Amino acid sequence: MIRNLRELWQYRALLWNLTQRELKARYRGSALGFLWTFVNPLLLMAVYGLVFGIIQRSNIPHYTYFIFVGLLPWLWFSTSVGSGASTISDRRDLLTKVRFPAQVLPTTVVATNLVNYLLSLPLMVGLGGLVGIWPDFHALAFPVVLLVQLVFTLGVTFVISALNVRFRDLQHIVANVLTLWFFVTPVLYVPNAVPEPFRRLYLIVNPMAVIITSYQGIFYEHRWPHPRGLAAVALGSVVLLAIAARVFERRREEFAELV
Amino acid sequence: MSTTDAIVLTGVSKSFRKSTIRREHTTLKSELVRWLKRQRQPEAPSSIIPALRSVSLSVPRGKTFGLVGRNGSGKSTLLKLVTGIYAPTSGTVEVHGRISALLELGAGFHPDFSGRENIFVNGIILGMSRREIRGRMDEIIAFSELADFIDEPVRTYSSGMYARLAFAVATHVDPEILLIDEILSVGDEHFGRKSAAKMEEFRKAGKTILLVTHDLGTLQRQCDQAAWLDAGQLKVSGNPVDVVAAYRAAVAEAEMAAMEQHAPRAPVAVQPRSGPPAEAGRRWGSFEAELSGVEIHGRDGPQHVFSADAPFRLLARYRRYGAVEAPQLELNLRTDGGTLVWSTSEKLPDAEAATLTLEMPRLGLGDGNYLVDLSLGTAGGAVYDVHRGLHGFAVRAQDSSGLLAPVHTWSIEPTS
Repeated sequence: MIRNLRELWQYRALLWNLTQRELKARYRGSALGFLWTFVNPLLLMAVYGLVFGIIQRSNIPHYTYFIFVGLLPWLWFSTSVGSGASTISDRRDLLTKVRFPAQVLPTTVVATNLVNYLLSLPLMVGLGGLVGIWPDFHALAFPVVLLVQLVFTLGVTFVISALNVRFRDLQHIVANVLTLWFFVTPVLYVPNAVPEPFRRLYLIVNPMAVIITSYQGIFYEHRWPHPRGLAAVALGSVVLLAIAARVFERRREEFAELV
Repeated sequence: MSTTDAIVLTGVSKSFRKSTIRREHTTLKSELVRWLKRQRQPEAPSSIIPALRSVSLSVPRGKTFGLVGRNGSGKSTLLKLVTGIYAPTSGTVEVHGRISALLELGAGFHPDFSGRENIFVNGIILGMSRREIRGRMDEIIAFSELADFIDEPVRTYSSGMYARLAFAVATHVDPEILLIDEILSVGDEHFGRKSAAKMEEFRKAGKTILLVTHDLGTLQRQCDQAAWLDAGQLKVSGNPVDVVAAYRAAVAEAEMAAMEQHAPRAPVAVQPRSGPPAEAGRRWGSFEAELSGVEIHGRDGPQHVFSADAPFRLLARYRRYGAVEAPQLELNLRTDGGTLVWSTSEKLPDAEAATLTLEMPRLGLGDGNYLVDLSLGTAGGAVYDVHRGLHGFAVRAQDSSGLLAPVHTWSIEPTS
């Protein structure tokens, strides 16, 4: 894992350039340009707000803001994993022609979506301001949660992008699993809505549930994230990243041949 | 391990799975089905394809090493092994020095970005740091001669411009070892010369170059050493002139074999009345008019090995049978490698029979083996008698190489 990360560090310039390029490419030539960053989460929020805030009235106060707090980090995670799955298998042009650490590719996807997430934060804060919820000192915990999610997202994306080189249908399976995963993650509802007997299990098996509720704690409820839960997820994420790095290391020889 | 060698390959083999080559990917679904059917038999050995078989070679530091071979002989695989893109199935690859591989021009180019932006990404991928690229940016742009377009998106470039930009970046990486996969022939003639000059600069600077090429001339001119790969095996390695000679001979043989297969089937029912018998790919035609008694003579009679300065004479007898239109004789002189050296044609007189003599006071050809192909026919498309690969001769010239040995003199006078 150390070697994996050190190579990433050596190639940080490439990582940075590719990320920049990803970001620019996404908005270049489109009429709204950079504003597209906000359009997607805003539309999603509008849809969910309409369905669960107005049609199926939810009893969560400031429901649209609540959705937004959880939806943004979820989008970071799901978009990274979803589009990261094929990131190695799609870059035949690079992998078979130049030698460079392949982990740069999934990392670029994660980094691009992280930047997107960070850029949409002001929008979230502004929306909170509209309903009178400004971030307070609990926001100090935000970088910690962000870091945990980063490690977790990297780990998942590494494993899936590496396996997708051999098993090409994985990316389609992943897309469907992510949809399911979204609904078992408390973005649209609070964990207390989960029936009591399953609640603990629910938080234990789904790291994203812990991460999302941590964000909601910080920005919506103004309380500290659950330290034990977050620590467990942090530890699990580091282990996952270590395993992912191992998988990557073992598979990298076959990348150039199989893509 | 010798430090005088920049690249050392020891018994390197590389095999690919057939499924990989056919790009048939395993899917989870198929794996699952296979598992359910309990068909987990081991992989059949026939599905493994060897690309390189136990290749050992070393490239000395500061030398230019050329690799030749037909398509699919494993040259590119070898380069990728040296680069580290592939790992050898067995054997070891040692590389001493910073390596830059130009296996493909413009790795990582994005069409929507400007030339300048692409220089950055491409440069980083090739192993330069951001600072190095910034420092060399102007030089790279100047070399590419694209200053007017450098801020335009690359997708607006012509393929020549694209290649120029990519080559400009690639040659400014400043590696100790440069691997090149037949890309020198990019752009127009002017740029080609510039690229060649850049290569020369690399050589003078004492860089090690490993070059894959199909251009045997380049190989002989620019390489200090060469190797010929055939079907994944090292055939010959050493002096470029010897390697090229061996390679040429093998290609000629292969082409002959192919020609015999593909040449129009001779109407076997019709056999010529004189000369060698009709044979697919070697002699065919309607034989309404025939060439026979083709002989190659030197000064004093039949001869097959010539020096460049020797006189040369080709004799043939012509006879027509029945009322055919006055034919035309076409003569093609080619190397045994198939390169056309000279082609000429001569109108034959409207006569029953004639003796034809081609006279060359001085042959003027370089060292090599040559074939004289003769073809008797009309401009209207009638084919009477074709002789292909039937008549040959060799030129032995020790002091020069190439196709031509023109008349020349040197005058060298010391100046004080």
